[in-house]
Amino acid sequence: MRLLNTTLAAALMFAAAIPAQSATNEDVDNSFYPYRNGVPTFEGLKPGLVIDQSNVEQFKPVLDPATAEFIANGWTTVTVGETTSFDLHPNYVQATRDGLGKVKLGAQSGEIEGFVAGRPFPEEPSTDDPRAGEKLAWNYKYGYNWGDNAAIYPFYWKYKDMNSGKLERTIKFNFHFLNFMHRVNQEPLPEITPNPSGLFRAIYVQALEPFDVKDTQLLIHRYEDDLKRDNAWLYLGFQRRVRRLASGQVTDAFLGSDVMIEDFEGYNGRINDMEWTYQGTKNILVPFYNHNEQKLAEEDQEPDGYQFAAMGDKGDCFPQVSWQLRKVYVLENKPKDPNHPISKRVHYIDAQTFTIPRTLIYDRKGDLWKSWQIGQAHPDHHLPVNKGTGVAVDDSFTMIDVQAMHCTTGQFKGQVDPSLNPASKFTVQNLRASGR
Amino acid sequence: MFLKRHQPQAGRRRPLCHAAVLSAAMASAIGSPEALAYSSEDGSLQINGFVENATYARRDVGLSKMRNTMQIEGSKDYGQRGAFSNVTFVGTFRATYDAVYDLNKDQFGSEAGGSINMESVGGSGETAWGASDISTGVLGFGFDTTANPNEGLVNLGSAIHDTDGGVGMGVPVRPCDKDSRGCIDDYLDYDENDLKYPEFNDRLDFLREAYIDATMPTESGSVWNFRLGRQQVVWGRTDLFRVLDVINPVDYSRHNIYDELEDTRIPMWMATGEYRMGATETFDDLNMQFVWNFDKFRPSNLGQGGSPYAILDAGSFFRAMKNCWDNGCSVSNFAGGVLSTDFPAHVIGIRDVHLPDWSLSNSQFGIKLEGDYHGLGFSLNALTYRSQLPSLRAVVDNADNPFTVPLESESNDYLIAFDMYFPRVNLIGGSLDFYVDDIKSVFRVETAYTQGEEFANTLKPELYSESDVFRYVVGWDRPTFIPFLNERRAFLLSAQLFGQYLVDHERKKVNGIEAGIPDWELNHIGTFLIKGWYKNDRVSPQIIMAHDFKAHASTIAPSVDWLISDNLRLTVGANIKVGDGAQEFDDCRSCNPFPPFTGAGDPGDLALRNLAGYEPLGRFRSGPIGMAQAEDEFQVTLRYRF
Repeated sequence: MRLLNTTLAAALMFAAAIPAQSATNEDVDNSFYPYRNGVPTFEGLKPGLVIDQSNVEQFKPVLDPATAEFIANGWTTVTVGETTSFDLHPNYVQATRDGLGKVKLGAQSGEIEGFVAGRPFPEEPSTDDPRAGEKLAWNYKYGYNWGDNAAIYPFYWKYKDMNSGKLERTIKFNFHFLNFMHRVNQEPLPEITPNPSGLFRAIYVQALEPFDVKDTQLLIHRYEDDLKRDNAWLYLGFQRRVRRLASGQVTDAFLGSDVMIEDFEGYNGRINDMEWTYQGTKNILVPFYNHNEQKLAEEDQEPDGYQFAAMGDKGDCFPQVSWQLRKVYVLENKPKDPNHPISKRVHYIDAQTFTIPRTLIYDRKGDLWKSWQIGQAHPDHHLPVNKGTGVAVDDSFTMIDVQAMHCTTGQFKGQVDPSLNPASKFTVQNLRASGR
Repeated sequence: MFLKRHQPQAGRRRPLCHAAVLSAAMASAIGSPEALAYSSEDGSLQINGFVENATYARRDVGLSKMRNTMQIEGSKDYGQRGAFSNVTFVGTFRATYDAVYDLNKDQFGSEAGGSINMESVGGSGETAWGASDISTGVLGFGFDTTANPNEGLVNLGSAIHDTDGGVGMGVPVRPCDKDSRGCIDDYLDYDENDLKYPEFNDRLDFLREAYIDATMPTESGSVWNFRLGRQQVVWGRTDLFRVLDVINPVDYSRHNIYDELEDTRIPMWMATGEYRMGATETFDDLNMQFVWNFDKFRPSNLGQGGSPYAILDAGSFFRAMKNCWDNGCSVSNFAGGVLSTDFPAHVIGIRDVHLPDWSLSNSQFGIKLEGDYHGLGFSLNALTYRSQLPSLRAVVDNADNPFTVPLESESNDYLIAFDMYFPRVNLIGGSLDFYVDDIKSVFRVETAYTQGEEFANTLKPELYSESDVFRYVVGWDRPTFIPFLNERRAFLLSAQLFGQYLVDHERKKVNGIEAGIPDWELNHIGTFLIKGWYKNDRVSPQIIMAHDFKAHASTIAPSVDWLISDNLRLTVGANIKVGDGAQEFDDCRSCNPFPPFTGAGDPGDLALRNLAGYEPLGRFRSGPIGMAQAEDEFQVTLRYRF
């Protein structure tokens, strides 16, 4: 029996390792333009409708369980917006076409072969494919979220008591992202060289306020090799020194927020650290919207007039944005580490953009612990600099700890602007140079 | 007879009440955080800062610190200027008033100290200052007690030990404008106002920073960065210990070794040039830094005798010795090792301090190559600098011989009469850091090898010798979940082991006593930090522990940080020391500097050596932790940021 299992496993691995012969240009079109032939519908659901306690039962099939419960509790409402296409940049789509038939999974989780750029596995996932979840994870990892580079400049995080609505702490950051590899849009293509260690991506974070964290900086280098751990460094203003961080400890709350480092952008870790299971495709409501058409916050207005997404409802924990009925892939990730503080995440991955607007996080007992929402704004209805970039702009977030009744909200000023993200910003020396 | 270690002293007030009143006054004075913070519309000019009250109470002493600080930090970005980009001016202004000198003046201010007695185990048992068993009337001994009266004094080291048959000296402890005895011009000569307002002096210490920073891109993609002005240049990767981080001198009078170096480094006028190569074909990041410290030399501030914090209590020893040279002094158990002795002026003590003048040849220069290679951070460092700690050289050529009448001036080997020097030191070193995923740990390593450092050495005629020194630190950091304490936020565990090896160490056991270099040939100090976070990082308890292995001395410092709001932080903590306390070493009473009067043999004759005590050299064996054994403190700090 054991031999049979081994043989079966080997056969499955072998099958998965075969290049995706079946992926075609038609698959690419379906993947990137899922609404070209029409948008999904649900009986009674139409733009402008507000889902609240009175009608939530009717729309439960198009809501993730946590959102349905929040509405049923009277904590928030969901305003339905028109489903629109978030077309990613044509160069990214073209890179996907160029890679057709060349990309395959490696023998073990965390390995990929033949990938240059674009979406590695554009074909529709199948529940018959035992590694379909892993392929979706790769599509997310190499997604066009933030394009080749971007900055959230600035980025407000607010810690709130959900019961009282008390604002406990406000931290103002600048976040910068840069892809060193698999670039499709901005020179140099497809890779920034020299790149001796094979870095895939870097994230640079600078804390601006309040004063006690001012000048704190974080730099994360992610290797192309998924099996290698990130390198991370922290600059503490009060020490004036760069400290290398133990980057393997990604389940720690980031600066005391409700967000783990591993939660960034939906999932911020190694593919190999998780068991990935594709659970099906659905049409559900997710926070996708046009920023300029939303209710915007009056506070923290930028000098150029930019206003951040507004927060409201219970505890001021909910972005006041509209939701679209969109095609999503339901992807479960379970930590391989038995000591991991969560039992699983359930991601609702937007099929068109491969961003993760909704994630439900369960504690080790299997109870819902946190609800993670990242609102995506269309780049053509945002800052002028973002127009035409083909990037779904992360625009608002809320991480709600339903057990502690506490939330952390985020308000973004996302800017897809290469001038804000030179490679020199993503060096350890820059931490020292920028620190005071 | 002496101030006993555990004897409550007069002057204890109600420090926490004062702290609360002052903090409330500070907070109400500044109003809202926006009132003082400023950011120009285009963001190019930014000003912010903080006010802080730090109130510490010491066991048996009362108030030991009530420091009130205002710090203003500003930066102005000028953007592109000619060939330079990112031209920025950065300035930091700090003003401090330490009320301890007003509120506990009988411990640290104008009324500190009193009359003292000196032990004389072979004579009267104890004698008053200036009335020793060997005093006026005996050859040339004795001194003018009108100029050097028995007031405003404490017994050297009395906080942690009795004389116990060893050397005992008297330390004038009042500010130098109240009592100038033992004050060393241009080194440790602080008036009461200098101590209360330490930033306002002729070195402009209120300017914590004032520099221009500019970047110049090159065609290769590398950039030059230049920084000119008053600044801190920080090398190294370790906390607390200064292995490579030695460019700026340090103000230990602020809080011994326990404050953040950021707050205790003494800024210097320097120029730095940095060639940032970024990623290369081999390295992920590579940089070369040149540092030129062209400021006039400044030693570290060790803390003046009579001030609350004096590392190794060295400032007290220096002050006692300087007074001995200038005015004469009483010394316990000196003559024959058993009789209190009144030395006249110009016999023993510290005669002079040789602070390097400003000259090009006295400036200091360093170079650092730093980078990252496949996840291995590294640096190679070289620095030529002046020791920031003094060396006492027994090279006085005009000491009086009290056994001759009239007094004869002469140069005597092994005579405890010193000049202070700050020798040039050359340092080479390096550092590493790396992450080991299997144990989720970061390791930090830092090493330095120096040439030119000088150490007390009772086996040498000049009572000092030079030794190369190898120092190193290995640090370990690991964020670790401790579920029964906090399921959702990891604790930071951080340990360090600091080692110091004196390559040219010399020590002998002679007639049952230890003689030579009192510093340990090889010693280690270990530190351990455990820090946690609760309430979304608004409450953070921590415990820092340090242990000096050879000194058998430890510090335990628990504290809790409470971030009351984004602007207001309260820190409540304690600093508790445990250990063996004072240690003995050859005190050179039997060094025979005036043969045949002090002995039949030659100066330094080892056959005569048989006397040791806590003072003055035991401090080098007790180390900074052991010498502060009596300084258990309760500490409250309130900081309001804007």
